[in-house]
Amino acid sequence: MLLEVRDLSAGYGALDVLRGIDLEVGAGELVAVLGANGAGKSTLLRAISRYDVDVRAGSITFDGGDALRSTTERLVRRGALQVPEGRQLFSELSVDDNLRLGAYVTDRRALASDLAAIYARFPQLAARRRQTAFALSGGEQQMLAIGRALMAKPKLLMLDEPSTGLAPQIVEQIFGIVAELTRAGVAVLLVEQNAYLTLRHADRAYVLEHGAVALHDTAARLAADARVQAIYLGGHPESAP
Amino acid sequence: MLQLIVAGLTVGSGYALVALGLHIILRATRVMNFAQGEFTVIGGLIALTLMQTFHATSLLALIGATLCGFVLGLAFERFVLRPAGRAGEMGVTIATVGTVFVLLYGHALVPDWGSLPQPLPAFTGSVSDAFVVGGVTIQIQSLWIFVLLLVALAALYAFFECTYYGKAIRAAANNPLGARLVGIDVTAARAVSVGLAIALAAYGGTILGPITLVGGAGGVAIAIKGFVGAIVGGLDSPVGCVVGGLLVGIVEKLLQSLLGASSADPAVYSLLLLMLLVRPQGLFGARGALRD
Amino acid sequence: MIDRLRADARILPVIAVIVALCGVLFHGDATFVQAATYAAMWAIAAIGLSLLLGNVNQISLGQAGFFAIGAYAVAYCMDDTSLPFWLGAIVGIALASLVGIALGFIALRFRGHYLAMATLAFGLIVQGLFHQTAALGGASGFTDLPIAKFGPLGLSGSVGYAFAWLAALLVGALSLNLLRGRTGTAFETIRNDELAAEVIGVPTRRYKIVAFAYAGALAGAAGAIYAPLVGVVVPDALGVILSINFLLMVVLGGAGGVSGAIVGAIAIGFLDVAGHQFENWREVAYGLLVIAIVVVAPGGLIGLLRRPRRRAAPARSSAGRALTEPSRPAEPRAVASPAAIPLELRGVTKRFGGLVAVDDVSFALAPGTLTSLIGPNGAGKTTLFNAICGIGRLSAGTIRVGGITVTGWQPHRIATLGVGRTFQNARLFGEMTVLENVVAGAFRIERTGFASDLLGLPAAARARRDAIERGRETLARLGLEHVAGTYAKELAFGDRRRVELARAIAAEPWLLLLDEPAAGLNAQERETLQRDLLALRDRGVTLLLIEHDMRLVMAISERVTVLDFGRTIADGAPGAVRSDPHVVAAYLGTAS
Repeated sequence: MLLEVRDLSAGYGALDVLRGIDLEVGAGELVAVLGANGAGKSTLLRAISRYDVDVRAGSITFDGGDALRSTTERLVRRGALQVPEGRQLFSELSVDDNLRLGAYVTDRRALASDLAAIYARFPQLAARRRQTAFALSGGEQQMLAIGRALMAKPKLLMLDEPSTGLAPQIVEQIFGIVAELTRAGVAVLLVEQNAYLTLRHADRAYVLEHGAVALHDTAARLAADARVQAIYLGGHPESAP
Repeated sequence: MLQLIVAGLTVGSGYALVALGLHIILRATRVMNFAQGEFTVIGGLIALTLMQTFHATSLLALIGATLCGFVLGLAFERFVLRPAGRAGEMGVTIATVGTVFVLLYGHALVPDWGSLPQPLPAFTGSVSDAFVVGGVTIQIQSLWIFVLLLVALAALYAFFECTYYGKAIRAAANNPLGARLVGIDVTAARAVSVGLAIALAAYGGTILGPITLVGGAGGVAIAIKGFVGAIVGGLDSPVGCVVGGLLVGIVEKLLQSLLGASSADPAVYSLLLLMLLVRPQGLFGARGALRD
Repeated sequence: MIDRLRADARILPVIAVIVALCGVLFHGDATFVQAATYAAMWAIAAIGLSLLLGNVNQISLGQAGFFAIGAYAVAYCMDDTSLPFWLGAIVGIALASLVGIALGFIALRFRGHYLAMATLAFGLIVQGLFHQTAALGGASGFTDLPIAKFGPLGLSGSVGYAFAWLAALLVGALSLNLLRGRTGTAFETIRNDELAAEVIGVPTRRYKIVAFAYAGALAGAAGAIYAPLVGVVVPDALGVILSINFLLMVVLGGAGGVSGAIVGAIAIGFLDVAGHQFENWREVAYGLLVIAIVVVAPGGLIGLLRRPRRRAAPARSSAGRALTEPSRPAEPRAVASPAAIPLELRGVTKRFGGLVAVDDVSFALAPGTLTSLIGPNGAGKTTLFNAICGIGRLSAGTIRVGGITVTGWQPHRIATLGVGRTFQNARLFGEMTVLENVVAGAFRIERTGFASDLLGLPAAARARRDAIERGRETLARLGLEHVAGTYAKELAFGDRRRVELARAIAAEPWLLLLDEPAAGLNAQERETLQRDLLALRDRGVTLLLIEHDMRLVMAISERVTVLDFGRTIADGAPGAVRSDPHVVAAYLGTAS
């Protein structure tokens, strides 16, 4: 398993968010993390990328190494990339610059060809390569954020709610790219609110509730499980609404 | 009138460099460096020592002072700005004010420097070398100042717009979290930015040294006029800062000839207040950049 | 804050005694008397800046400007017109106050370093104006002013010392009154969290202006005393360096409160005189000291001397103690009749640039009901709450609270009608104790004014005692008495939410807006919250909740409204909403 999270408890200052999370992602897998707001999904990704979150207990192992003692920048170097909530693009720099900087941790000898490959995959970006990131539409910004992460040749790609505010065709495009990535052996950990659509594409999924894993199964089985809806909309998970 | 404009552009070049330095530090650290003027003064004094004690040529002294400025900037970031950052924005502002005191009175303690302004040798020939064009006398040193200002601007432009690392530094200032997620060391980027800003200050103090003299208590006035330039042009626009600085120089000279030397200063400061009230983002800035 | 005020109240008399003793012991030592007299004058100005910087978190690098106004007013009266000193002083202080109000208005527009620059410019402009005005002596100012007389006493030497220190201690005592009263509470809330302050009814803009005016008045008073005692008023001495010196004193002694400023002023006053021959070294040392203090001991000398009163927050939160009935009758409602519609929205729209966060939302709440507002992430719920509370302007639509149209009102005005609110991330006043937080919550009920606070009138003291009593009661109702003395920033998370709730109900609001009150609570805490909310509802409070905890929502709501992309997609009884296919699609997406 490329990423192993064991018994993770974490939070922010006095606030406890995650309680004893067990989770793993293997190469070539698309694993989804679902759950209502406040369930701790983003907190989990931040904990793995080691920023803003205080880890109280448990362990995170990435590619055989202890991630808890690493830093955000070093994890990027080791191939754990995140496309965060809000995308965090360099709004004042051009599309081209954003992508180029994505390769910051690589040796950049193949920068030109890597860049060409990204533009081939995201033609909308190629058309706008000189524009500043700020001027792009929501969908294009999401493409740019993913493209930038791909420039670093990730082994593990984490996506935090990539479909937020995007049109269905763009969301399908994103899932298409994710499928390509998993076929190429990249591990993908996807946090999403849109449960049913995500379950259609994912291999496995975890459903979080109040910071703990309430359900964990293959995506196919969860898609048919009425407890998922119960968790999202109240009512006891053991009983269908 | 044209004569005043030339004089204004000359001294305005210094303000432009101060304003640009303020912009760079603000971008990188979100802090207004009240000590930018003092670093300008110190830069000039370092050049003086290099020329007097080490018999360096003007060019070497300029390079030397700029490099020293860079190192001073790194130290300033590491030992003042970073630790003070824990006390919040107000704390850092106060720390830079404290730095003003340290530098303002501290530089007078260095044996060769003292507390009175001293002349720096002109870069070529003597300070009074000048030529006349259309009834306007232009000092050779003024030409040097304009040229060197352009050199500095070109160098910075090349760095920030054309080099990979320069863009990485801009990215770190633009979005620190995004930069970390791409693997950029944001702390190092910030330190380099501050180093560059202080290097710029030292550079400015040196090129203006022959005309405005180095040393003395003028650092506060330089800093404030640099501020005015930055506010007039737009704190968040590098072009604005440079243009603003030059404009302030011209306005200062015009006001001096109109109102007399001592009345010009309060008038310039009133311009600052007016600008802050009427158009705080400056001529070239973007709205909403103010409430931070 | 309370610890610092108590420390101030203890230290001030000690300083008074020391000053008196030293005055008697060293009255023959001219150097001492001079240094100590200067210290007293500086102290008066420093106290004003200390309040401004330490209690309201506004910086001013232009206090020398006010100082100059006071000094010149007195100098002019005494020199040119031979009017008595105290008349000049009154004029000077009044003028400084007015200018302070003006500066306060200007300062409202800026924060942080922009404010520093604006005040710096102000100080320089004032100095420049005095420098240029021939009628005031131009560059040479006033030299050789006559000695001011109080009857037979001339204001110089030991008499001057006594006068200056009496004035300083008086200013200290008055300022302490101010800080311990409602005004001080307002200041402290602004310093901690301006938004939360507005929402509990503190008119933040007004108080910031008051702070600037007060600091200006004090600096002007200091200048007014300086002129006759020193006999010389020269513009060059009243510029940036003096302003920075005041800042030095405040930072060194400890910003906020009174004794820090006095200690700082004494330190600088004596160091100035003692280290006279080391001029440059001394100033360098000051600069290094300021940096060191910011980095190591932000509380200044006083902060170091004070034993930090750490009462560790109890490990267990207070979950399990449900809300009880208050022992007093509820305060009279600020609004017409209990039957008035507590909240009515019509066509409310809020746009941020091209993004429509809230899209044509309309609904009305029935009095005494509990309604939940739900919806997926980014649906616009908090934006809607903010709009109701007056945070940010509406793009379109109207909002009526208790039958009164409040569209465009400032948050504190809406709060004063009787609306309470909690935030998603529990915006408590961290540097205040739990009790202070809750007392602040009842700000709008306590009616004391600035002057009463300043003079420490009995009515003000009584109102304060009542407010504290009320605060304790509110805490008791929620079972939070055991954390009354704990600083809010040290609370366990579950208690934070409860304290914020206590603060929100302290003024007995009849409309309560709660933003994700259950977020981060454990099971037991959620149960207690549930009981609390129902108890409030039963008392007749109208509740509107934003929540993600669906079980809580379904269990206690009488009505559920669902937002998605800023628009209402469902509105009705919980059971119906839960099985509405639009709602399911909004939350879980659709399979196609």
